[in-house]
Amino acid sequence: MGPLSRETWAQRLGAFRASPSAFMAGPEGEDLGRDLLNELRSEKLSEQTKVSLLALSLEYPAQLWPDAAAAEAAATSLLDTLVLLPPRPSALRRPLLLAATTALAAGDALGPTSGASRRLLPLLLGLASGRDLGRGFGPASEQRPLQATACECLRELESCKPGLLGGCLGLLRSLLGQEGPVQPLSLLLALALRNTLVIQARARAGLQGLLVAGDMPAAGGPWNWTLAEEADAHLQPQAPSWPAAEEEECGLAVLEPSPEEARELRAAVAQLLDTSYLLTPVAQAQLLWLLGWALRGLRGQPPVLFKPQLVRLLGTAQLTLLHAVLALKAAFGEALFTAQDEALLLRRLTLAAQHPALPLPAHLFYLHCLLNFPENCPLGPTGEETAPLLLGPRLCRGLLPSLLHDPSALLAHLHLLCLLCAEDEEKEEKGQDWCPRHYLGELLAGLRQRAALHGGPRALATLCFQASYLVVHCLATQPTVLTPLTHGLARLYRARPALAPHFVDLLDRVGPELGEPLRTALRQEVVSRPGRDEALRWHLQILSKVADGKAPSATLGFLRAAAAHCTDWGLQQALLQVCRALLRAGVGEGLADLLQALARQLEDPDGRDRARLYYILLAHLAGPKLGVALGPSLAAPALTSSLVAENQGFAAVLMVQEAPAPMRLSVGPRRAAGPVPVLQLQVEVLEPLYSVELRFRVEGQLYAPLGAVHVPCLLPGRPCRPLHLPLQPRRPAPAQLAVRALFATPAGLTCHAHLPPLPVNFADLFLPFPRAPDGDKQGFFEELWDSCLPEGAESRLWCPLGPQGLEALVARHLDPFVVVAQPPTSYHVAIRLPPASRLLLRLEAAQGDGVPVALRTDDWAVLPLAGDYLRGLSAAV
Amino acid sequence: MAQRAVWLISHEPGTPLCGTVRFSRRYPTVEKRARVFNGTSYVPIPEDGPFLKALLFELRLLDDDKDFVESRDSCSHINKTSVYGLLVGGGELWPVVAFLKNNMIYACVPLVEQTLSPRPPLISISGISQSFELLFGIQDFLHLGQKNDTELNTKLNQLPDLLLQACPFGTLLDANLQNSLDSINFASVTHPQKQPAWKVGTYKGKPQVSISITEKVKSMQYDKQDIADTWQVVGAVTCKCDLEGIMPNVTISLSLPTNGSPLQDILVHPCVTSLDSAILTSSSIDAMDDSAFSGPYKFPFTPPLESFNLCYYTSQVPVPPILGFYQMKEEEIQVKITVNLKLHESVKNNFEFCEARIPFYNRGPITHVEYKVSFGQLEVFREKSLLIWIIGQKFPKSMEISLSGTVTFGAKSHEKQPFDEICIGGTAYLKLHFKILDYTLTGCYADQHSVQVFASGKPKINTHRKLISSDYYIWNSKAPAPITYGSLLLSLSSWTLWPFKKR
Repeated sequence: MGPLSRETWAQRLGAFRASPSAFMAGPEGEDLGRDLLNELRSEKLSEQTKVSLLALSLEYPAQLWPDAAAAEAAATSLLDTLVLLPPRPSALRRPLLLAATTALAAGDALGPTSGASRRLLPLLLGLASGRDLGRGFGPASEQRPLQATACECLRELESCKPGLLGGCLGLLRSLLGQEGPVQPLSLLLALALRNTLVIQARARAGLQGLLVAGDMPAAGGPWNWTLAEEADAHLQPQAPSWPAAEEEECGLAVLEPSPEEARELRAAVAQLLDTSYLLTPVAQAQLLWLLGWALRGLRGQPPVLFKPQLVRLLGTAQLTLLHAVLALKAAFGEALFTAQDEALLLRRLTLAAQHPALPLPAHLFYLHCLLNFPENCPLGPTGEETAPLLLGPRLCRGLLPSLLHDPSALLAHLHLLCLLCAEDEEKEEKGQDWCPRHYLGELLAGLRQRAALHGGPRALATLCFQASYLVVHCLATQPTVLTPLTHGLARLYRARPALAPHFVDLLDRVGPELGEPLRTALRQEVVSRPGRDEALRWHLQILSKVADGKAPSATLGFLRAAAAHCTDWGLQQALLQVCRALLRAGVGEGLADLLQALARQLEDPDGRDRARLYYILLAHLAGPKLGVALGPSLAAPALTSSLVAENQGFAAVLMVQEAPAPMRLSVGPRRAAGPVPVLQLQVEVLEPLYSVELRFRVEGQLYAPLGAVHVPCLLPGRPCRPLHLPLQPRRPAPAQLAVRALFATPAGLTCHAHLPPLPVNFADLFLPFPRAPDGDKQGFFEELWDSCLPEGAESRLWCPLGPQGLEALVARHLDPFVVVAQPPTSYHVAIRLPPASRLLLRLEAAQGDGVPVALRTDDWAVLPLAGDYLRGLSAAV
Repeated sequence: MAQRAVWLISHEPGTPLCGTVRFSRRYPTVEKRARVFNGTSYVPIPEDGPFLKALLFELRLLDDDKDFVESRDSCSHINKTSVYGLLVGGGELWPVVAFLKNNMIYACVPLVEQTLSPRPPLISISGISQSFELLFGIQDFLHLGQKNDTELNTKLNQLPDLLLQACPFGTLLDANLQNSLDSINFASVTHPQKQPAWKVGTYKGKPQVSISITEKVKSMQYDKQDIADTWQVVGAVTCKCDLEGIMPNVTISLSLPTNGSPLQDILVHPCVTSLDSAILTSSSIDAMDDSAFSGPYKFPFTPPLESFNLCYYTSQVPVPPILGFYQMKEEEIQVKITVNLKLHESVKNNFEFCEARIPFYNRGPITHVEYKVSFGQLEVFREKSLLIWIIGQKFPKSMEISLSGTVTFGAKSHEKQPFDEICIGGTAYLKLHFKILDYTLTGCYADQHSVQVFASGKPKINTHRKLISSDYYIWNSKAPAPITYGSLLLSLSSWTLWPFKKR
């Protein structure tokens, strides 16, 4: 793009400022940064236009040069422009220095590898120390302002990269002692000193003579980045010099300077403080914050150095100075402020908080400072606003609220009054001499009177409710305050029911101390005035909030009377909303009649449907379930249908919902007794479940359909007795059981979940034969053995034995089925397999690693299963 | 301690946006630190449009407040300072220091050098007081001698350059922007050693010192048995020292006549180098007794170039300069009023002007007035529902004057007639406006001979005094009136005023 005229630039900058993001997204956005840098060297543009271009770069470097590389290139270009300026006076030098500094610092480009940083830093330091940098840097008249600007640039760089100037402390001290501009050098030195102390303390290093090293980094020589790099990992939230901050965070407690270092440090601080009166008030305040921060917690550095400044500072009305004194108070406490000093400071603060010559924002800030005053010996919990101990009623007289105050002023003063009332709680009423509570009552009444004003601005109503909330928050335990407040609010509602939303909001936010009586009072207020009323919709809004199980007949009476006047959809919905609240509260009697009547009588079909739905719910659901079903408060019904909206609320509750498996089911030890095989199921749950029903389905119809198992309640961590699942096999075969669980959650939802399938093993079906006649077990067995053939099948196989041997194997797996035993070598086993099969085994003449097994069964199909079973025995533990 | 951004927004009720951003300035290097310090609680500075909208909403300056909006109107949304949290871009920008003055909203966001959650108390944030000073400084600059919109625009156009000087990187160097303006112009002067930063040049010319004492008297008068009347004097001493030399020393003493009322609650300019402890501790909080320090009040200082407020004080004079009562009774569409005013004999009976304004709020326009005044003239502003009783330059010999009459009102229409949240029903007031030149109620004066100047040449000393009324209310004694705690307390001590016959 060619050179642009002044007007074009003005237009372009205007468009950019209107919305930087929109401009950068547009077609011109991409080129803006580059064009700007080019135009700075254009000879056609006036200096004033160039200054406005630089001003833009001071505000929006991140948009113009979005990454570190672009920022580095921009800073380089700005520095090039600077050195190319002709040696006559120019308004561009200062903004160019500022712009280059901003580009580097904001663009994350500042660092030892950045060429622009390596050029800018020595240049700034040279300018700051008043060295002659040659003709390129303008006439002598510009030296002084440039020196100050260079200091500012260095200070900003040091702020963004703490420790950057750690090596220049000595130099800065000597400059300050000579003729340099006092303010920029003082602030720069104080900041560098503070940062160095913090970094050295973290590194557990001393000052290492940094305060006295007076040399300047050699021109063109390398910059010392050591401290800055040490701090680099640490540009982290820093605790201000405030008592709430942990000592550790402050990090200075560990720095123990040597006596010599301590002396130098004291000298440096004294040097800064002595000339501090030459600084502007805001700069003095910065200096005090920085030095207070630097010396806080530093051993062997008594803060008495600050003492001579204090009297001067306490006399002023300057906000920053008084704030800085408070910071020193917080940092040093008793070490700097005796009890008398503290009292004086408190008096000055009290005075400033009400001085008619100061503006309101200052008053409010001072009032905040009073309630957060850093006391020498604080009582009570930290972090809460309290009136300092020394701030007695007498001091507070001028600080009490008045109806003539602005809203924020009124609330601030009201808070103080509440704190005084709270303190006063234990003391006896002292007649009228000092009765803040009485005054509080009057004030609240005045606020309510204003809020009751018809057509008055909402801000007045808001203020009244905020004040009431604040009072309840502070004085929740004082019935002498809360009772009149409750009555007053009820009267306010009577006077202006349109404030219903404020009442609902207040009820949502206050505790039961006010909430309970206020609910009752408002309910009575509403129901005692049945009939047609313009405020019906507000009454219904209030009732839907306050209707509960108490005195339902009055409420129902009101609703019955109101129903006739609920002619439009909105009112009907509001009416039904109250019914809903009553349903939830468990009001049954009378409500059913009302709902039935509404279901017939309401004009709007939507309203009728909803009334009918409530009636059905009331008739069919038990109390708790009803409560849950209507649980989540209904959002304002959409214009379509209130039923749809309502359904969204509780359809979920009334339907069974799919849920992830909340339990683990496993098969426990076998029982092998009784007429049919029974699985013992063990259950573990992850959350409390109620009314659990487990349903099983056998794949492939191998067994008869299985009955469900019911458990009333399952709790995590509490063992449950095993559940018994009887099986009725149609064939003696293993199977998979599909399992589903139905249950209710503590939230009242009914859910169902699929559980992992449950395997039924072949051995799970084993049952013993009824006991053989005494004495002839062998005969019994032989009879069974013989009966298997010829229909059945016979087989022989090798059953491997584990290290435990035959006896242990039998004891573990086959014990209930052994008919004849000759331990340890011979066992005859008879197994009944429902519905009507048998399996007989002869285990005889075991050898070291196995035993030959002869088996017979009357069911061909069993043979392979038995084979697999026996071969797997030794592996099964 | 630094600022992330600053805005000036003109409040324009009735326009679609209700306001316009007249000036804004962002500080990207500070913003970069904010991102690090605030960590996860960091919320970036929004663009001007969203900021304007969020701020006006929070300050309740948008035109629509018809409906209850929870985020603004909830009872727990309590703001006790001029510091706000603004909902912008899904986060809450805090702390935003902002206030409205003369239809201009001054706002800025200070850097907080720690995490913002939980919110640290404002007292622990060094940038907060700096925010206030910056905004007060801009406010002073814009309104110093500003007469019209053109001048305001000129000054607004100067702001970018001034802030480049006074706050180049977001850290405020000087809240006195006029000083920065001068320093741009003074740039060519070579500065000698130890030049104070608050004094950009040196004066050359005839030495002179001007001292001007302005006292404002406030009062709340109720004419009731159980509520005490209150009044207070607030004084400001303004100086302009045209003296040669870098650091001339000046001492000004304020004196009181023998029966003068002691000065209390004294706040001094930062250029005052030392203060007597009696001055520092003299306070209206304490009960007054004869031992109260009554001067002379010495203020040694090194003056800046410009005119400045050397000190402020308050004082509790024994009587209000004008004591009166106001009775108003409502009778359907009429009100009957009776006013009686009496000038205290000790007060200089020579006013630049003196008038009583009697407004009628929350009513229709005045349609008819019948009245009788013992002195002065009555002007009727029908549409504004206002009566102004012009008393003039002197009270009559009796020192006591009265007005009685009947005022009839037309139908109320909400748009035109003044609304007031206090003056409901019979609650009403009249407000006195007066000014007396070459007079102070406390008696306080700066004696020419007591001014000590340690500089070359004997300066000419000019002194001025004046008393003006400010918030001087007399409430209708026939209806409730807003009271302060002080009124309740004082009434209990049941002292009697100077003999003013009550009806």
